[in-house]
Amino acid sequence: MTGKLYNISAGKPKSLIRPIVGALVADICNLFPGGFMALVISVLYGQYVSPGEAHDWKTLWILCGLMLLSLAALFVGERFAFRATHRRAYENSAVGRAALAEHLRKLPLGFLAGKDPGEIGNALMSDFTQLENAVSHVLGQLVSGVITPVLTFVCFLFIDWRMAVAMFVALPCSLLFLWLISSLERRMGKAYLKSRTDMTNRFGEYINGMEVIKSHHLQGANFGRLERAIHLYMKNSIKVEGAMGPFYLIAIAGVKSGLTWMTIAGVYLIVGGSLTVPVFALFLLVGTRVFDPVSAALMRWAEFKYIALSGERIMGIMDQPVMAGDGDAPEAHDIAFDKVSFGYGARPVLKDVSLSLRTGGLTAIVGPSGSGKSTVLRLIARFYDPQGGRVLFGGVDEREIDPEKLLKNISMVFQDVYLFQDTIGNNIRYGKQEATREEIEEAAKAACCHEFIAALPKGYDTMVGEGGSTLSGGEKQRVSIARAILKDAPVILLDEATASLDPENEADVQRAIGALIRGRTVVMVAHRLKTVVYADRIIVLDKGRIAEQGTHGELLAAGGLYARLWDLQQRAGGWTLGV
Amino acid sequence: MSTTVGQKTGIARLLELAGEKKTLLILSSLLSTISVIALLGPYFSVYLVLLELLRNATGVAPLDGEAMIRWATAGLVSLLAGYAFMYAGGMCSHVAAFRILYGIRVRLADHIGRLPLGFFDKNSSGKIKKIAELDVEKIELFIAHQLPDLVNAAAMLLVMIAAMFLLDVWLTLAAIIPILIGFAAQYAMMVGKEAKKATVAYFDALEEIGSSSVQYVRGMPSVKVFGQTVFSFRRFHGDMLRYRDFCLRFTDNLQNGYVTFKVLLVSLASFILPVGLFLLSRNPENIAFAAVLMLFLVFAPGVSVPLIKLIMLAGHLTMITEGVKRIDAMLTQPPLRETENGKPPRGFDIRFDRVSFSYDAEGGGPEVLRDVSFTAGQNTITALVGPSGSGKTTIAQLLPRFWDIQSGAVSIGGADVRDIPTETLMNTVSFVFQDAFLFSDSIYNNILVGKPSATKEDVYAAAGAAQCREFIEGLPDGYDTLIGEGGVYLSGGEEQRVCVARAILKNAPVLVLDEATAYADPENEYLMQQALSILLKGKTVIIIAHRLSTIREADKIIVLQNGAIAETGDHARLLEAGGLYAKMWNAHQSASDWKIRKEAAQ
Repeated sequence: MTGKLYNISAGKPKSLIRPIVGALVADICNLFPGGFMALVISVLYGQYVSPGEAHDWKTLWILCGLMLLSLAALFVGERFAFRATHRRAYENSAVGRAALAEHLRKLPLGFLAGKDPGEIGNALMSDFTQLENAVSHVLGQLVSGVITPVLTFVCFLFIDWRMAVAMFVALPCSLLFLWLISSLERRMGKAYLKSRTDMTNRFGEYINGMEVIKSHHLQGANFGRLERAIHLYMKNSIKVEGAMGPFYLIAIAGVKSGLTWMTIAGVYLIVGGSLTVPVFALFLLVGTRVFDPVSAALMRWAEFKYIALSGERIMGIMDQPVMAGDGDAPEAHDIAFDKVSFGYGARPVLKDVSLSLRTGGLTAIVGPSGSGKSTVLRLIARFYDPQGGRVLFGGVDEREIDPEKLLKNISMVFQDVYLFQDTIGNNIRYGKQEATREEIEEAAKAACCHEFIAALPKGYDTMVGEGGSTLSGGEKQRVSIARAILKDAPVILLDEATASLDPENEADVQRAIGALIRGRTVVMVAHRLKTVVYADRIIVLDKGRIAEQGTHGELLAAGGLYARLWDLQQRAGGWTLGV
Repeated sequence: MSTTVGQKTGIARLLELAGEKKTLLILSSLLSTISVIALLGPYFSVYLVLLELLRNATGVAPLDGEAMIRWATAGLVSLLAGYAFMYAGGMCSHVAAFRILYGIRVRLADHIGRLPLGFFDKNSSGKIKKIAELDVEKIELFIAHQLPDLVNAAAMLLVMIAAMFLLDVWLTLAAIIPILIGFAAQYAMMVGKEAKKATVAYFDALEEIGSSSVQYVRGMPSVKVFGQTVFSFRRFHGDMLRYRDFCLRFTDNLQNGYVTFKVLLVSLASFILPVGLFLLSRNPENIAFAAVLMLFLVFAPGVSVPLIKLIMLAGHLTMITEGVKRIDAMLTQPPLRETENGKPPRGFDIRFDRVSFSYDAEGGGPEVLRDVSFTAGQNTITALVGPSGSGKTTIAQLLPRFWDIQSGAVSIGGADVRDIPTETLMNTVSFVFQDAFLFSDSIYNNILVGKPSATKEDVYAAAGAAQCREFIEGLPDGYDTLIGEGGVYLSGGEEQRVCVARAILKNAPVLVLDEATAYADPENEYLMQQALSILLKGKTVIIIAHRLSTIREADKIIVLQNGAIAETGDHARLLEAGGLYAKMWNAHQSASDWKIRKEAAQ
């Protein structure tokens, strides 16, 4: 239970105190109208028992008046509870969402790479919506499901303990029963949730891969993977409903059977003469309504547990350790790998790589695709920590440096640029939050993108689609370079920045890169060896190991892998129809 | 799936959706009505016991203990029967609901698969997913819970109110007036115009968070490099705060109405009692009336439970119908029209005849292609070149009808692509896209997508030709290695080669290569070109290339500029002409001579 509360509050159980107190207050207020009413009836029965005396209408009316007054108290209590639960629900989820998003950012990228973005998106969105619902609607009912019977039981013990026990004798049995089936329930809930996530992921795949799906005529019913996922989700939904339903209904019927047991006990006692008619009437009247909050709570209990799984998923991410290190980045900017080994999951990518990169130098990393070139850059930027060995920045193990402080020193231009759905101006501004309009335009000019931006209908205020979808590859690339220029970091990492560009753009991007790398420490990954012949040093990777390194001239003279690649690239490739 | 998406909205539309499983739902309503009536049994048995006590208290009759125990037991039986019926009814409605949800989701998937690609530029994937997942899910609440509840609550209320009026008019009024006041308070808050507007805003806010969170996650490398925090990532944080503020405001607006309603409804007995007491005080010896009063007091909570359910329905209904509206908005997007009398292509020459096209013709968007005419012959290579934004990729995307053009005609083998049945068309054209896309599945299955009927040998051969064999064999499970979620991630070049293998396996007569080897490293590119050149023989090939050196040997080079054809010819002729192509060629020569050196830029 505490674990669930912890999960439901996204790790901040204290935030639930207020809503719980609110619900408590409302429940206590709720006891009065019913209590006064039961008293009235009891008094009335008492007066019928002794027919000799005249009816004491005054007492009855006073009790009745108190009952009506208590309605006002109930209104105040309920309003307090409503505010306490609902407002806190939305406040919690806003704080929780922000905390989760912040946490995600501090995790190694490997965590995200191993997950479907849909799953993370769900955690941020619908899982928190579930938690909102838990706090605003479910929690209060659970509280009253506990409080109402407990308070009633305690009060009634004083009136007639035998009747009170008979009333609630079935309740513990029902709870025990629910506890016994909870592991089965958990198993089914997990399967259900998994099929739901699976369906979301398949939908995501379907939408993101639409071009491929269309061109292989896989849309709609032909994309069996999606249909199967939807179908499985349907089956699991029905299964959970069908299998768990009876258990809950049996438990609720058990609770409500208390009315019957109490009646039977009452009959025996009254016939035996040890119970009076007014007390029996009081019990009967209260018995018709005391079980409703309990059965409502039991109904909600299943929902609460299901929601707790959402909380568990959120906490599963929150509990991932963030990247260690809180030191400042050193002044020096030389970079070194000391026997670094690294792999994504089961696939080793770098094996025992040692290298050192001088400040202010231009180092190129070349090699066949899959040899680990881009991974070297990702390790420098500390998107990941190596599994073996150390990556040193300015002589300090990167694991001791706060990743954010480290990244202040590094700019990166990726092969596939991801622009945010925001204006072009703001996309450039990501390089430097406080940049003025002039600085942005300055950077855009240096990156050869001012011209095309100025030609857009709204200029720098033009919105860019999700991922940059409304710009061409070269345009996106130049915007991303402008962003890097604006950031003005001493270390620049270039990952195949010109791989997919048309010649015109390529020349522009090349100029932009020229502006970006001036006077900085540069590490670039390149496919086309021609572009890197003037690098201070060329590191040739092959299958995760350094095959050779040196300048272009030295490597050619050595006659190794580099020389072979160079030779291959000199042969002009082109598309022809086979003869 | 006979239901078409019509003009109906709100409850009418929901009922229309529910109508797909009419029999199950009628059965469910019937069972749940029996259930709620059976669940009143225990109340009735308590009433009988109270009556017996009353008679005894006034000394009219001696206590009949046996009868009271019989009544109590009957109440228990009735309770159990009530829950049994409730389960049966609930199962009927849930099975109906989940089947309907399944149907809607499949229909959605099918429908968005027929839409022009522009739909996906205008609607973020996060938003589409939210609609397909959450908005559809909400319908379950209506069909599985609210619809049967609506029927049984209405049935029970009618029976009870009729019975109450027959028993005593004044006590009935005492019960009904608070109900009416409560409903009025609630209705004003939840169903009025303001509430509708608020619901729309709520949904918008939720969709915004959805799409900005997806961006935040996808753009994580950039978020990290540029030192963004969630607080500085303006859009996302702003969306979260807006959503919260909106919900808080909504809550504040709702509270008085809701609390009034709740208090009035749970306290019906408190209103009945004073009226009853007053009536009784005028004639205390009227035991029959005292009995009726007991009946009212005992049954009061039985009336409020279904009523509270009913009002919850109203509140949720606005949410559900807003979700349905969004589903319908997606379903009513006009799909690309499927031809009625299909015309298969005769031969595989491609012809563009005075094609003009805009991505957003209705919105008056700019034309991306203007009056483009050309022919790409079978057994030839046609290259499309030109500055970015000149329309090369658009031309390629028109062939498989990702979009429909506004004027002119695109034809394959003499048949307009709009007249070729989709399946035939897709079997005719094979694509390798610039952005490789792989499914979260094994590598083997990813290649098999090209031709599901292929044998193992075919798949291996295609992988070999696309230079995939070496890296695939280095993976933990070889061809069975899972890619993506829960599996391994491939490099850009590797992904692209898998896509090429897919196209090789498909072996369609028309092949479009859109920067197919952009991410490949040079030696692989060379080998792939060698392998593909055998495959290309006899086909109609369209190549979009940035590096002009790769298309020098093309039979025909079409040079595009600003959506129009600037020049056409082969490499030698175009160079001679000294136009745009010659200029680009020179730029390419110098670009490929580009050697990154730090002094060069100074």
